[in-house]
Amino acid sequence: MLKIIMPTMMLIPLTWLSKHNMIWINTTAYSMLISLISLMYLNQLPDNNLNLSPLFFVDSLSTPLLMLTTWLLPLMLMASQHHLSKETLTRKKLYITMLVTLQLLLIMTFTATELIMFYILFEATLMPTLIIITRWGNQTERLNAGLYFLFYTLVGSLPLLIALLWLQNNLGTLNLLVIQYWAQPLPNSWSNMLLWLACMMAFMVKMPLYGLHLWLPKAHVEAPIAGSMVLAAVLLKLGGYGMMRITVLLNPLTNHMAYPFMMLSLWGMIMTSSICLRQTDLKSLIAYSSVSHMALVIMAVLIQSPWSYAGATALMVAHGLTSSLLFCLANSNYERIHSRTMILARGLQMLLPLMATWWLLASLTNLALPPTINLVGELFVVMSSFSWSNITIILMGVNITITALYSLYMLITTQRGKLTHHIKNIKPSFTRENSLMVLHLLPLLLLSLNPKIILGPIY
Amino acid sequence: MKVINLFTSSILVTLLMLTIPIMMTSTTLYTNKLYPQYVKTTTSYAFMISLIPMMMFLYSGQDTMISNWHWITIQTMKLSLSFKLDYFSMIFVPVALFVTWSIMEFSMWYMHSDPYINRFFKYLLLFLITMMILVTANNMFQLFIGWEGVGIMSFLLIGWWYGRTDANTAALQAILYNRIGDVGFILAMAWFLANLNTWDLQQIFMTNHKNLSIPLTGLLLAATGKSAQFGLHPWLPSAMEGPTPVSALLHSSTMVVAGVFLLIRFHPLMEHNKTMQTITLCLGAITTLFTAICALTQNDIKKIIAFSTSSQLGLMIVTIGINQPYLAFLHICTHAFFKAMLFMCSGSIIHSLNDEQDVRKMGGLFKALPFTTTSLIVGSLALTGMPFLTGFYSKDLIIETANTSYTNAWALLMTLVATSMTAAYSTRILFFALLGQPRFNPTITINESNPLLINSIKRLLFGSIFAGFLISYNITPTTTPQVTMPHYLKTMALTVTVLGFILALELNLTTQNLKFKYPSNLFKFSNMLGYFPTTIHRLMPKANLLMSQKSASTLLDMIWLEKILPKSVSHFQVKSSIIITSQKGLIKLYFLSFMLTLALSLLMLNFHE
Repeated sequence: MLKIIMPTMMLIPLTWLSKHNMIWINTTAYSMLISLISLMYLNQLPDNNLNLSPLFFVDSLSTPLLMLTTWLLPLMLMASQHHLSKETLTRKKLYITMLVTLQLLLIMTFTATELIMFYILFEATLMPTLIIITRWGNQTERLNAGLYFLFYTLVGSLPLLIALLWLQNNLGTLNLLVIQYWAQPLPNSWSNMLLWLACMMAFMVKMPLYGLHLWLPKAHVEAPIAGSMVLAAVLLKLGGYGMMRITVLLNPLTNHMAYPFMMLSLWGMIMTSSICLRQTDLKSLIAYSSVSHMALVIMAVLIQSPWSYAGATALMVAHGLTSSLLFCLANSNYERIHSRTMILARGLQMLLPLMATWWLLASLTNLALPPTINLVGELFVVMSSFSWSNITIILMGVNITITALYSLYMLITTQRGKLTHHIKNIKPSFTRENSLMVLHLLPLLLLSLNPKIILGPIY
Repeated sequence: MKVINLFTSSILVTLLMLTIPIMMTSTTLYTNKLYPQYVKTTTSYAFMISLIPMMMFLYSGQDTMISNWHWITIQTMKLSLSFKLDYFSMIFVPVALFVTWSIMEFSMWYMHSDPYINRFFKYLLLFLITMMILVTANNMFQLFIGWEGVGIMSFLLIGWWYGRTDANTAALQAILYNRIGDVGFILAMAWFLANLNTWDLQQIFMTNHKNLSIPLTGLLLAATGKSAQFGLHPWLPSAMEGPTPVSALLHSSTMVVAGVFLLIRFHPLMEHNKTMQTITLCLGAITTLFTAICALTQNDIKKIIAFSTSSQLGLMIVTIGINQPYLAFLHICTHAFFKAMLFMCSGSIIHSLNDEQDVRKMGGLFKALPFTTTSLIVGSLALTGMPFLTGFYSKDLIIETANTSYTNAWALLMTLVATSMTAAYSTRILFFALLGQPRFNPTITINESNPLLINSIKRLLFGSIFAGFLISYNITPTTTPQVTMPHYLKTMALTVTVLGFILALELNLTTQNLKFKYPSNLFKFSNMLGYFPTTIHRLMPKANLLMSQKSASTLLDMIWLEKILPKSVSHFQVKSSIIITSQKGLIKLYFLSFMLTLALSLLMLNFHE
């Protein structure tokens, strides 16, 4: 594991010792190399996970997410260059340091063996994110957003700490490799229900579950581009990852306890998708679409069948790349129009045809066009929920339809139609931006060729 | 064995050839003026090559399956890239390639002034590829790739003139209706996976499951969406906002028959399920009658042809409902020729009249555009099922079979009325566009002498005359044909058609110069498309958007969820801290209590001893 952790740590001195014109190039190139190291873990042994040390391990569930994390850092660096161009050198370096720290913590979170260590790192990721949002956000509302972000997550996760301490006391270990063999079945009692809630709520808030999602649109909208990207792509997946790891401990209570949460997710995904239909704010639309997609992941994790786990893992990776891509596109619009309002950026296909292609591809992946991995994920989730209860197909179907609608509504509003006069003198798209979009789309396409590697432990 | 190898290799060559121009887009060829020519030639070569496996299939009649490139194995289910080369795909591939070839040549003329003509051709080709995937797919996932692919390509092509609001709305509408159908497809996929654990067509057909109503409902919903059956039909006439070649290729001959094709593919499941057959029959009958009624009073020439497409699709679904998938398939093939040609003729007229689509403003074109109008007449006659033209071989057979089967008399009656109406609206086009005095602007320069236009229409014209004969002569009969029947049943299709012709001609002649005092309700019903768009397209989106704005966004997200959690927590914190804290700002009271305590303590100290 040190193979990844040490180079990532060394990114910080690299940042601070680089010359002022080299900081972006150095860090981007270096972090891209780090992400190539993480590809090695794709070579999983068929039956066992890679125990790298007593503290860290990767298996086929954490590898895709680890890859996603390392892949995203260079992309975040590429995306934020324009946003920080007016800042002083020290602040730029500080910003990069924050991103690197976040990446470091995320890598360790996804590979932690001990649940308690996972918990500590999970909480620690809040700090750099909070700093990124509240320091480099664009408007005053960023402070409020930071407050929401911090308190929702903290209030959700503090009971988990208590639950973990209790579990450690009872089981004698919180080692993820051990507890799957050691976990005792939880009988149905009031105290166990509370334990279940304490264990799951932290991740439900992080996902976020409908009803606890208010922090997400605020944080996404106010965060600078790199913040939005990492929030949508990786931080939300912490929730899904944690849920999939901790449900081992909570059987068979999950069968009863899951009902209200599944209902909420089913209901919530339709609600949030219909909110998307009425959004005027581009970033907010993408944020709500994340909530709706993550509701599918919650459904899948709670159903707990092999197919649903495969679907959840695939959907997490697919959504990570897609939503990050959409945020990048929204940001490239924002840098030109200086507004997130969709109606101010119309008919851009005329001016930026290549960017329109990226928009088209992003919308198509967002609405899960076959054979992308988005479809693989969604299809598996729909299937497992169908075999769980036939009626869910109606709600799923409504959601599929609305997802297609708002994705294309977003595409049509921003790209099609007549050009408005005030955007006629905008800048052309940079090579940096185009390559940023390509680097998002390339893994999506390549993974579609072989989705097996992101289908998680029990494909 | 060598025979088989030639069979599979030539079909793979056909499919692979089509991808070459797509790959060429990164080279300088794509910026070249010759790219459309290149694409067209590739398609024509692909057609020629695809004739080899078709001939071999007709000769030997054996189904083949190519299975290569293992994609993924999940649990016990294996998914691999595989092609099914059976009767349906082997006949349809050459037909689709032939029609596309002609339409591409036509587009070189029709779109020649478009600055992005290369991209247009790339889109057409991409569409063709997805259609080929759909037709040859051997498992449901691959079928779904093609299924969604044609939907997205139709979105892109309908919205080709993206500056126009109407085009964008029509594109979105098409996707929305198709997406509702897709839910049915996904439902079927989910059911097959949960109950049969396979998506391979052979394995699905092999398993005898007792109750197939759920997946069949899903498939029927999918077909309803894609083939614009009643309930999900409004997108097809709206799709006429796209360029005419797009209407000719996607919305008449290939993409819209995908739904019917799906039901034909899955007929082994359907043939034992009487309930589903009856539902299919009734759905088809309603569609064919309703859209024929709508076609009667339209004035836009493309809209009339679009509704006639919808009506023919209804007829195909009726055919599936009477358990004759092979006949439905025959009708798909024959329909492709003359319907594509009708659209191309209307495109030629529209182009010549300077983008005038209203039939009331045409007239007398018989003299001005002799070739186009000849083709239009032949196409219309083929559409109505005149004997020994292409449409006759399938349509007449369908009506005969329906007449002699134990079918729902009500559905049969509707189909017959719709058949008669086919003749009526065809007459209407011919009457208004071709006959009488010119009613268009005299300054227009009419020209139909471009070889690209002439050749492409000519090719389909031959198809419209001979294809039905050739196809039905060469294929082996798959169902036992009815040998004898009473003469009134035999001639019924022809009778109602001729009746429709005569009636429409008389009506047109008598009412040409008369004006309605007030529009009759029947006219309004037909002209307003059965009030369908006005109600469904207004009320439902309005309710939906209002709900999402008012309850989902404002009430729940911005008020209640905010109030229940963060706002109430902070509110209670503030309140309780106010209650608990000793500081209330009451200076007088503090000083008074301070003085009282002081006085009291002094007093108590004094009286201590």
